[in-house]
Amino acid sequence: MKHVRAVLASASLALATCAMAQQPNPMDNVPDKMPNDIPYGTPISLDKAQAAISAAIAESKKRGWKLNVAMVDSGGRLVAFARMDGAQLGSIAISEHKARAAAMYRRETKAFEAGVQGGNNYLLTLDDVIASRGGIPIVVNGQLIGAIGCSGGTGSQDEVVCKAGAESVK
Amino acid sequence: MARRTAQRPGHAAGARISRNGREGISYPFNWIVAIAILDDGGHLLHLIRMDGASPFNARAAIAKGKTAAETRRSTLVWEERIKAGRNSMLGMPGITPVQGGLPIVVDNVCVGGIGASGVQSHEDEQIIAAGIKALG
Repeated sequence: MKHVRAVLASASLALATCAMAQQPNPMDNVPDKMPNDIPYGTPISLDKAQAAISAAIAESKKRGWKLNVAMVDSGGRLVAFARMDGAQLGSIAISEHKARAAAMYRRETKAFEAGVQGGNNYLLTLDDVIASRGGIPIVVNGQLIGAIGCSGGTGSQDEVVCKAGAESVK
Repeated sequence: MARRTAQRPGHAAGARISRNGREGISYPFNWIVAIAILDDGGHLLHLIRMDGASPFNARAAIAKGKTAAETRRSTLVWEERIKAGRNSMLGMPGITPVQGGLPIVVDNVCVGGIGASGVQSHEDEQIIAAGIKALG
């Protein structure tokens, strides 16, 4: 039995080595440019943040949805927040988390969702990541000034409302 | 100050604040602060951090409002109790015993709390008292 195991182990090791030789690990690729190289700008003003929240809530109301909307500044810290009547309580923290992750990682949280869906589970080991769409950075004149996060519906619903808010700032 | 339990907690109370809550945020003193409104469950309903107010102000406003909403009394009550020598009160769970948090009481029922941070504590309280007054 021991002998059989040893043979199997060496065979599978050989197979693995063989497979690696044929398919290079995509993680070994070294791109020339930095990804998401967006400079951080002046923190978003309260007026702009509130305008984005109003736009997001208007979109949500139009569709009869009840969401939480959070706006953070370029440092990922809360500037404004609103919970629509009847929105679920668990999403208060999620909406802020999505906004914070979008600002801290300078990309839509959808990128993490897609990465995990594609099998890159290591993304979940990165600090303070949330792998769910509905967090979008606010980039004005090439600079990241804040981010918006929505939560309370499906990820796709959150994203529609989030986009309405983000686009109102530009 | 009302101390009894809300007859209809949760959404009914939350909706009640939020209908008027946004108008409840006012800036009569031109001070730079963060203001938070929470429902009777101590859950955040609305928050603003004015330009120039620090990230800490936002957290402090939420903490004060939460203390007021959950304990149904002004955070000043907590501050003064401790100041009077009741140091054991510092061990109470989730308490921020600093002036600038008030319960929102409607028809003798506490439906939430409001907190402010950014100026001196007694001024923080003036701001939120004006906000509550605006609720009518």
